[in-house]
Formats: sequence, structure tokens, C-alpha cells
Amino acid sequence: MPERLSPSDDLGRLMHAAQQGDSAAYVELLRTITPRIRRIVRRQRGFAGAADVEDLVQDVLLSVHAVRATYDPTRPFVPWLLAIVRHRLADAARRYARAAGREVRIDEDDVTFAELATNEGSEAAGDAEALRAAVRALPQGQRQAIELLKLEGRSLREAAAICGTSEGALKVATHRALATLRRTLGTNRS
Amino acid sequence: MNTDDLIDRLATDLRPVKPWRPGPKAAGWLTGAVLYVAVLALVMPGRGGTGGAGLSFWLPQLAALATGVLAGVAAFASAVPAYPKHVLVWPAVAALLWLTTLAAGAPWETRAIVAAQHEWRCVSFILAGGAPLVAASAAMLRGAAPLAPRVTAAFAALAVGALTNLGACLSLPHASHAVTLAWHGGAVLVLVAACAPAARFVLGPTRSSPGAARASTDRSTPSRPR
Repeated sequence: MPERLSPSDDLGRLMHAAQQGDSAAYVELLRTITPRIRRIVRRQRGFAGAADVEDLVQDVLLSVHAVRATYDPTRPFVPWLLAIVRHRLADAARRYARAAGREVRIDEDDVTFAELATNEGSEAAGDAEALRAAVRALPQGQRQAIELLKLEGRSLREAAAICGTSEGALKVATHRALATLRRTLGTNRS
Repeated sequence: MNTDDLIDRLATDLRPVKPWRPGPKAAGWLTGAVLYVAVLALVMPGRGGTGGAGLSFWLPQLAALATGVLAGVAAFASAVPAYPKHVLVWPAVAALLWLTTLAAGAPWETRAIVAAQHEWRCVSFILAGGAPLVAASAAMLRGAAPLAPRVTAAFAALAVGALTNLGACLSLPHASHAVTLAWHGGAVLVLVAACAPAARFVLGPTRSSPGAARASTDRSTPSRPR
């Protein structure tokens, strides 16, 4: 090898071989420098998670690959590599700052209202026997309205025809029945 | 993608690359640029002679030539990682010398500067004539790794501006240095101001080089630490 092309260190020699198409030397070089790059990234970006650190390491490796033609084998390899690492870290910091500038931090919203009572499981089964007893205790008209509309699931028109009342009267009976049930069950629960 | 997989992927089908040396690249570009400017100056209509010009005329031209050459060298040198920083100092010194020789040559004459409407020809010589040189330098620099693309582009634009200014001055000699300083200096500043911000997109890390683009596509899956 001519003196002019003598690499100044082992890494430089490996990169020089990689520039000539030696895949094995390239793998050895990249596997040697990857832990060093990772250490530098971790030191510089202590707050970054493992995945972010690895992304930056891979960014550096991609840059090294893309610009490997610019390495001069007569010069030391490490300063060349460190210049790439330094600039890639600066690029990442700028990207992070731009992204942070566009973000608006908002407080976490409650899924429903904050009050405990509103978040009680209304779908919970509750006391079925108490409900049946409360329905049985309703006046005849109100009980029939609840049974037809809420338990049997009939339409307002059908229920009105069965009861022989107007739809408006059935609505009023239903409303009163629900209010009575709510009062009865609420009292019992408390 | 796992980092080990990425390394294997990069090494697979690794092709030999021709080393990118800034010195020969800069020499090639500068030779082409000087020849191009010389031809442009020769074919410029309404050309004047420089026969009776003295030292006060040639000194700024020599300084402009030095600025162009040193800025061209700096532009190509700065496109390589870990370049020696002193290459950026010399063109700045030459540019300062150029401005000094112009500014010291004549007092500031605002009325003459405003009246010199024929200077639009020189401005177009510098800007329109310099555009192909800017494009050529960008095409050559894309093959390298300008880690600070704005700096690289600013020096390339300064080189283009200084050389085309030289061509304009030799083609159409000016009686007043103040006029030259205001019009030519302004045109060079415009060139630098236009090229530096655009460099991020043309030379910067956001551009996609073929190798990086291919590898980036492979990285569509999230990376996992080893």
C-alpha cells in the first residue's frame, strides 16, 4: 500500500477497506464503533429513552454509510466519526426543539365528570329483589306503564293501546313511576 | 429495525466508493469557474478596455480573485467532516482585504451610486451569470457531507460572487470604487443571502441521498435496543 494511503489507525484501515467494498471489514468497523456511539449518545442525551438512543445511533450509522466516501484514510478516523456524531446530535436537538415548540400541553381530562356520584356504575346490577318489590308497590297505572315500556320494550303507541289511555297520559305515568322508583330505591340504599 | 440488522443490511451488497477529495474537486470547480467567467466577460456586449488601469484598479481585482479562490476551497473543504477550521479564515481575510481596497480607493458618493443605473448589467452578470456556477457547485457538493450546509453554501456563493464580480469589473471597468462597492458588493451579498438558507434543502441532512433513502425505507419499523 502506498504511504499516502496508509490509514493512521485500525478503524481507519477498516474504513479504507470498506471504501474498497470489503463487507467483512465494514461489519467489523460498524460493530466496533456502535457501542462507542451509543455511549456518546447516552452521555449527551441522558433524558432520552432506550428507543430514542437507538434511533440516534442508527441515524449516525446511516450518515457514516452515506458519506463514507469523504473519509480520507491518511487522516485519523475518530475525529471524522465524532464530527458526524456531533452534528447528528445537534440535528436531533433541533428537531426535538421544533417539535416541542409545536406541542401544546394540556391537562388530562376526566373521562366523565369529576364527582364521584356521577361516575357510579349505573349499569351495575344493584339489588334486583328491591327493584321488583318497588315496581310491585307502584300504583296500577304506573306499574303497567313501566312493565310495558321499560320491561317489555313496547312502543309508546302499543302500550297506550293496551292500557286504553292516551300516549300523553302514559308518558306522565311513566315519569311519575320512575320518580317514585328513584325515590324508593334511593331511600332504601341510603 | 434492530441495530445489528441495520449493520448487516448496510454491509450487504456494499459497493466500492470513489474517495471524495475536496482539494481536486475545488481545483476542478475553480478552473471551470474561471474559464466560464472569462468567456462570459469576453462575450459581454459593450465591453471596455483595461489598458490604462493602474494599481488602484488591479489591487481590488487581485483581492477579489483571492477571495473567490479561497472561498471556493473553503466551500469544498467544509463539505468533509472534521475539516481544518482555518480554511474558513483565509477567505474571510481576503474578502476583508477586497472590501478595504475598494473602500479606501474612493470616498462614498451617494449621488453617483444612485445615478449609476448601468450597474444593473453588472448585477445581472453577477447574479444571472453566477447561477450556473452555484448550480455546479451544489451538484458537486451533494456528493460530499456538508454537515454545516449553510456555511458551505455561503462560501460557495461568496466564491461565485467574487469571481463574477471580477469578470464584470474586467469587462466593464468602473471609474468609481464606491459604485463598485455598493452595486457589486450588494449583488454578492444578495447571492450569499439567497444561497445560505436554501442550502438546508439542497445540501442539508433533510435531503435524501440514494443510500440514506434506501436505508431509511428499511427503517420503517421501529428500532429496538439490543
